[in-house]
Amino acid sequence: MAAAAAVAALCRRLPGALRLSGARLTLNLFHKGLAKVEPLCQLKFLHTTLSRKGLEEFFDDPGNWGEKSVKSGDAWNIKQLRGKSSEDLHKLWYVLLKEKNMLLTLEQESKRQHRPMPSPERLDKVKKSMKNIDLVVREREIALRLLQTGHEKPVPGEWRHDFLGRTYWYTYKEWPIPWYLNKKYRKRKFYYLPHVDRFIRLRLEKSLRIRARRQNLERKRQKLLQIKFPHLAVKSQGQ
Amino acid sequence: MATGARKAVYPLFQLGGPQLRIFRPNFYMLAVRPGVPQPEDTVQFRVSMEMTKVDIKNYLEKIYNVPVAAVRTRIQYGANNKRNHKNHRVKKPDYKVAYVQLGRGQTFQFPNLFPEKEQDTETRSLEDLKDKYMEREEQRQKGDPRRGGVPDWFGL
Repeated sequence: MAAAAAVAALCRRLPGALRLSGARLTLNLFHKGLAKVEPLCQLKFLHTTLSRKGLEEFFDDPGNWGEKSVKSGDAWNIKQLRGKSSEDLHKLWYVLLKEKNMLLTLEQESKRQHRPMPSPERLDKVKKSMKNIDLVVREREIALRLLQTGHEKPVPGEWRHDFLGRTYWYTYKEWPIPWYLNKKYRKRKFYYLPHVDRFIRLRLEKSLRIRARRQNLERKRQKLLQIKFPHLAVKSQGQ
Repeated sequence: MATGARKAVYPLFQLGGPQLRIFRPNFYMLAVRPGVPQPEDTVQFRVSMEMTKVDIKNYLEKIYNVPVAAVRTRIQYGANNKRNHKNHRVKKPDYKVAYVQLGRGQTFQFPNLFPEKEQDTETRSLEDLKDKYMEREEQRQKGDPRRGGVPDWFGL
């Protein structure tokens, strides 16, 4: 009975002990300024050492030369990347950049030799990962900017009208003199006169008519297709 | 910060604004086999159009740890003499070529990325079949050897 109680107590304590050791390990691995503690399992995949290879990094691993297909993992999705620290993302960007350069080199060489590129889907995966990193970093930048300055955009701006009543996004620019002294700026019209209303209306009508025409055309085409291939229409509706 | 090298819009200074320190360059750089023989210490690259010589030097030294002595660049004009099915001219995109001389006596030889590997049995049998088929086809093209070169439209 006593032995069972001891085992139960150990089990209760074990996760805590594990978590503690994991945290210490990560702290040792990272720089001291980093407050965020990452789980150990994620760290294992992001291994960056000082490169000793130099120009050989433009080429694939020599074992993969001449292979028809090379195995590769999946692209980094946005959920995984959101869990990473900014430092990790910064490192990962350069890892992916090198990988992309390597794949582009391989692609060019295979084009030159008129051969199929081994596993061209790797290039898409790398591009997707880089796009995701970019998204995550931009999200963080926006959050930080909102917190510190209250602006969402790095360059502030607003919606304005031009003299024909069209609405567009005007980005603020830095001028050496105030706006009321600036002749070039004063000459621009960010308003429209009442006689333009008629033309705004006409423009709206035109766009609506174009849209309606396009939709009509599409509807007609579908009807024609249904008449032409009735068995297919029934089949697709049945599914 | 500035990801798009093509249209780099730097954030305006706003009071108390965050300092965004994650620099994500999207310059690409691919090593190519030189068409014209180059000196041993010269490597030929295709680089992003926006990169300057200084950019190329920094890119190689900081990201790849390669000592660079000198960089020369040129812009290759993409051919404009191809026509599509509507007989419109189709332009191939231009690209920038960089010739990088390595420092500290390093040399570089472009490796053979597609070496002939020993074939497994499946591909070998397939190639045997192909050879046999080609031989038979050649024989058929030549005609019957017993006819002594008389064309087959002559005779019954």
